[in-house]
Amino acid sequence: MTDPLVEVRDLVFVYPGGVRALDGVDLQVQPGEKLAIIGQNGSGKSTLVRHFVGLLRATSGEVRVGGQPVGRRHVAELARTVGIAFQNPDRQIFAARVRDEVEFGPRNLGLRGAELQGRAAAALSAAGLEQRLDANPYDLGYSQRKLLGLASVLAMGTPLMVLDEPTTGQDARGVKRVEGLIDELAARGTTVVVISHDMRFVAETAARVVVMRAGRIVDDGPPESVFAEAHWPLLASTYLEPPLAARAGARLGLGSTPTDAALVARALEAGPRGVSRPG
Amino acid sequence: MQPSDARRTPPDFVQPIPTGPYRGLNPTTKLVIAVAEALVAFTVRGWTGPLAVLLVLATTAVAARLGRRLVPFVIATVPLTASILLVNTFLFPGATDVILRIGPFTPTWSGLEAALQATLRVMAFAMSVAVLVLTTRPDELVADLERRGAPRGVTFVIGATVRTIPRVVQRAGEITDAQRARGLDTQGRLWRRVRGVLPLAAPLIFGSLNEVEELTMALEARAFSAAGRRTTLRVFPDGTGQRQLRWAAALLTAALIVLSIAGRLAFLP
Amino acid sequence: MSLILRDATYRYAGVGHPALTDISLEIVPGSVLAVVGANEAGKSTLCLLAAGLAPTTIGGELRGTVEIDGLATIGARPPELAQRCGILFQNAETQLSGTAATVWEEVAFGPRNLSLPLDEVVERTEAALSALGVEELAPRDPGRLSGGQAQLVALAAVLAMRPAYLVLDEPTSQLDPQGTQLVGSALQRLAQESGAGLLVVEHKTDLLASIAEECVVLADGKIVARGSAGDVLADPRLDEWGVEPPSTARIERAARSAGVQEPMLSALATRP
Repeated sequence: MTDPLVEVRDLVFVYPGGVRALDGVDLQVQPGEKLAIIGQNGSGKSTLVRHFVGLLRATSGEVRVGGQPVGRRHVAELARTVGIAFQNPDRQIFAARVRDEVEFGPRNLGLRGAELQGRAAAALSAAGLEQRLDANPYDLGYSQRKLLGLASVLAMGTPLMVLDEPTTGQDARGVKRVEGLIDELAARGTTVVVISHDMRFVAETAARVVVMRAGRIVDDGPPESVFAEAHWPLLASTYLEPPLAARAGARLGLGSTPTDAALVARALEAGPRGVSRPG
Repeated sequence: MQPSDARRTPPDFVQPIPTGPYRGLNPTTKLVIAVAEALVAFTVRGWTGPLAVLLVLATTAVAARLGRRLVPFVIATVPLTASILLVNTFLFPGATDVILRIGPFTPTWSGLEAALQATLRVMAFAMSVAVLVLTTRPDELVADLERRGAPRGVTFVIGATVRTIPRVVQRAGEITDAQRARGLDTQGRLWRRVRGVLPLAAPLIFGSLNEVEELTMALEARAFSAAGRRTTLRVFPDGTGQRQLRWAAALLTAALIVLSIAGRLAFLP
Repeated sequence: MSLILRDATYRYAGVGHPALTDISLEIVPGSVLAVVGANEAGKSTLCLLAAGLAPTTIGGELRGTVEIDGLATIGARPPELAQRCGILFQNAETQLSGTAATVWEEVAFGPRNLSLPLDEVVERTEAALSALGVEELAPRDPGRLSGGQAQLVALAAVLAMRPAYLVLDEPTSQLDPQGTQLVGSALQRLAQESGAGLLVVEHKTDLLASIAEECVVLADGKIVARGSAGDVLADPRLDEWGVEPPSTARIERAARSAGVQEPMLSALATRP
């Protein structure tokens, strides 16, 4: 029985101005999980993940990373366990070459020489940027800069990776790249936490979905459960809508079908019986 | 809804007209007074200049009930006034009236006098700024200057600077978070933290430059560069009395500066 | 009268190859034209071109014509263009002037710049705020709004210029689902009620399907498909052009290739 990678117990966080951003959050992230956190802006998603790496310190409650309490551990140390790729790549890109940008993270962790370059190359390849090693990051378009941001954190090789809104502003190809990247991470055994507004993307990539509202977790389970019809009023209270596949499946009496694939599979089973509920 | 019910003037919360002693003065009047006070404090030699200005300031501060709000401004001057006091008291050139000898150090009375005068000047300057800032909202001042014909660019810069600071601070915070999450050490040894300047500064600078470009376009799209005077939303009360006060303050200040430079005010203590 | 581009080819200053080639399209008042395409296909450039910001404010070289209600954008002064065509960008906060103490003053910024009489400034401001249903935001500090609210305020500020045309470059891209819904329904109402001609660039094809009549696909700076929104968004080549099809089309395609039969197939493709 291994320790959870990240464990948060009764976490409360109050910003200096008095805003109670987290109001008693309990969460355990097990190694190897693919977890998505959804909720409106202001529900506490970004605030929560910042605690995983020590950028914010709990007002009360407990935060444990890698089995140990966070305590006064430096962010630079926690960053060996938890890598966070933030939403806006332009708030982190600083190097003159793509290569240098990607090497920054692992270099801070102490890697050098051939190992450093190998990590960087692998990360760029996963992001589809292997051809642009010596390009200036600002010669890349927004989609690619965003992927560069992901690659820069990927290269750190942390056991847990948090992706904050990786598909915002991405076109279809960019979204597919991100999905592929997450699959590859999972195949490697990396634990992945994704924050996203794209319900279809969430249903397809996550094995577990956590729903937040007003600083609390209000639902936690696999997509089949979180997007099931019985949970829709709860989702509505957070101003979220389930993916279209889930709505279509419920409407046609096919059960809980959060993804296109699940919907199609159930539709095939229902077969010649056709539509069992009027449309 | 009757046509006569339709609003013809901005709602009350837009550039509200301030009331109360001193606060209720026209914004430009308050500006002129502050500038006059600062200039007199620095150009009239001796004790009279700064003391007279401080007296005026004390009166206005009491009238406008500023009291404790002035304290942060006073505290802000301490580093400067402390160094002035030390430097002048101990190192005043050509002074021979020594107070006492402490080893190699020889503080002099002339030095101390010069130090105290200089301190009073700095305090007077700081207080005149403080009284202006505490009794006048920036948008109130900008609006009144615009109504009097100040160029659009100038008033825009004043207004925008005030509001840009929180935005830049927030952006700097986001950049710091992102780089720390990539292992940038901001809590460890100093030499390590020095290496962090580029990863923190570059995104801030480039981000700000990019933003300037988009802001320029957004402003142009709202006719920022159109000719002519922008519509005044609120006319702040003014009067013959205030106009005369402004002219009197300006002329008096000019006269005092000239006389002081010409050495005609040497009779004042 | 319309906003028309004829064989427009545009090159950014200092760049060798054109960002857009031989673009011809027309925005008609009272209608919504959707523009889709992969990132870097030229969608943002098209927005700047239509609004006249390119080449007038940002430089660059334009060949061909861009005319807004008969006024050629080359050689026009920015304030003239601003009154004919408004533009809204992705990022709400960088569009707010940063000089207004209240939302009301932010929206009044444009009309004031035109030196309009005070009662007209007030009328336009109040009308813009109410058109977007944000009257209760009027006394608030523009710097302290949520993303969706800020975007609505930025839109109100543009509407106060009373442009006949409005160009929107990924207006909901940075917003959460609630913000997206707010802005999406505001756009729908706008198109129906104000009679303005809208050009909307978005990745969210579901949103576009519900508000646009016509649609154009951009790839590598050229128009590769055009027609009614229904037809274009159902085109199987969208994937190839880097565009995510609307959810219903995507589901229908997956079901069809898996062998789902009628009537289930049609039932799946119907929007709930």
